[in-house]
Amino acid sequence: MIRTGITGIDEMLGSGIPRGSRVLFSLEPGVDARLFMYSTLNAALSQGLRCMIVNPLATEEVFRNDLLEAKGADINSFGDQAVILDSRERERINKTFSRREDRRKEWDSLLQAVCERQKTEVLFVYFDLIYEDLGLEAGVDLFKISCCEGKSTLVMENLNLEGQQLVSRFSEDFGFDLIITLKSGYTTMPFFNFFTLEYTSWSRMPTRSIPYLISEGAIRLYIPKIVVTGPASSGKSTFVANASDRGVSVDRGGQGEQTTVAMDLGWLHLKGFEITIYGTPGRPRFDPIIPQLVLHAMGIVLVVDVTRKDSLGRAKELMALAHAERLPMVVAANKVDLPHSLTEEEIRSALDLRNDTPVYFISALRRAEVRHVIESMVDQITRFPF
Amino acid sequence: MYSYKTGIRPIDEVTGGLEPGSNILILAPPMSGAEKVGFVLARPREGEYTIILSTDQSSLELTEDLMGSSVAKDHVGVIDSITKMSTPDAVDTLRVKYIASPSDLTGIGIKFSQLAESIFKGEFDRSGELFPPPVRFYTNSLSTLLMYRKLEVLYQFLHVLNAKLKKMDAIGIYTLNSESFDERTISLMKQLMNLVIEIKEENDGGYLRIRGKPEIAPEWKKFHIEHDELMVGP
Repeated sequence: MIRTGITGIDEMLGSGIPRGSRVLFSLEPGVDARLFMYSTLNAALSQGLRCMIVNPLATEEVFRNDLLEAKGADINSFGDQAVILDSRERERINKTFSRREDRRKEWDSLLQAVCERQKTEVLFVYFDLIYEDLGLEAGVDLFKISCCEGKSTLVMENLNLEGQQLVSRFSEDFGFDLIITLKSGYTTMPFFNFFTLEYTSWSRMPTRSIPYLISEGAIRLYIPKIVVTGPASSGKSTFVANASDRGVSVDRGGQGEQTTVAMDLGWLHLKGFEITIYGTPGRPRFDPIIPQLVLHAMGIVLVVDVTRKDSLGRAKELMALAHAERLPMVVAANKVDLPHSLTEEEIRSALDLRNDTPVYFISALRRAEVRHVIESMVDQITRFPF
Repeated sequence: MYSYKTGIRPIDEVTGGLEPGSNILILAPPMSGAEKVGFVLARPREGEYTIILSTDQSSLELTEDLMGSSVAKDHVGVIDSITKMSTPDAVDTLRVKYIASPSDLTGIGIKFSQLAESIFKGEFDRSGELFPPPVRFYTNSLSTLLMYRKLEVLYQFLHVLNAKLKKMDAIGIYTLNSESFDERTISLMKQLMNLVIEIKEENDGGYLRIRGKPEIAPEWKKFHIEHDELMVGP
């Protein structure tokens, strides 16, 4: 397996990219996404794989500095493990040959020569100028036939100016194995980037879009909203507090009977993800704000009190209010540290849960158990076929 | 709605300025001062910001040029496509971002987003009062980009970029050499614009003609630049 080096994505792919695959990172103009290629290259070099980089956009020196700046990896330190064909190579070819066909032949023999000498295992290609010079089919074809009888892995970055139809050509006509598109949205907040796993040939992953942030040279997948809901006094505030690295709670009331009146808010890092958690109030008088709180949520944690079987009806009401049927959900059956008799089957049937919705018996007072529920929530969000 | 002053009297007086999302092409033969007209249009006014995509001048040369002018330099961001060719280890700063070469459209898009994001976040100027911050995006020049990339590719790229400018309520300003390209190239580039300012040089000075505003007659008029303003008429 070849890793992308991006925590979260490697897990989603089932530990990385199988050898011999053909991968496309398709970038829309303006999306800050060069790190996907840099990160995969850096991971491949660190795994000891022999890499060839075809980058007609930059000189070798510029590329070296860009990678150094982005990932702190000096490509020169890898010796012959990294071979770069840069913008000068393209200029030379375009100057020497004016016919497309001759240029293609020259690229072909150049790639073959490097392959034979280096025994290339992974080929990294910045595609858009090749596309412009040779055309789409011939350009793609060049990297199909040239390299080590198709045994090497191909990772391509392309600036996509043609939209979704070009993306489907790579999966349907050219048989790429993994296609990740990178886009930026201006909808909820300006300059918000997200990646979409469009297609994987080796697993039946559903198409999935997840926002990401870039911090300190790493891509962090970003889950902007997980909502924690449940009946009053089921332990939501404690759950949010123990799930979070930091947070705030808007509680009111005397000692021992505090209740949440607006929401709890928490932030955490987990397995390469940045997550924001919103806890809803549980009392019915706050019900009108719940649909607002779940707007744009990516998942729901339903907290129920295992000592209060009578509260399950209210839990079901909250599920309906939060439109839980449309989102990935996890149930945290809380307060197992107190005497209780409620079983998983009873919870499942009272709440009419789908089979793929997990139920965990936890105590929200124990941080490790709360974190486990959040981990499962993240799995649901990244793999759930909704 | 916000209105962008152009510094070109006939446009500002008749239309009150340009609406957000507008794109202006300055079409001029070489050595006719297209850059000067470009700067009149692109200069950030009070509370505005300008992002310059510089394909012919390094950011250092550009800064030198701006020194003498009244431009608020901390309101200007630059995408420099020159410096890295000679100094590959040039490192991005808040206001200056480098790309490998003018052929690197991916890089242009990314650096544009980074600069725009910084402006929106108030990193250029904490006291910024207007929101969304008005942004002028100035490309000098399309001619160079066209030498590095195919017409169709550049057309598609600008099309996407213009959509982003529109969403940001920004405007785009572009210079293009009118003599180095065929009619098809010029007509395709014009299709992306709302307003075209043509410039020509005669023995007695520079002339301009404004196309794309029905309120303004498309007649050649003599112009000169005075205190960063463009004066039309004798």
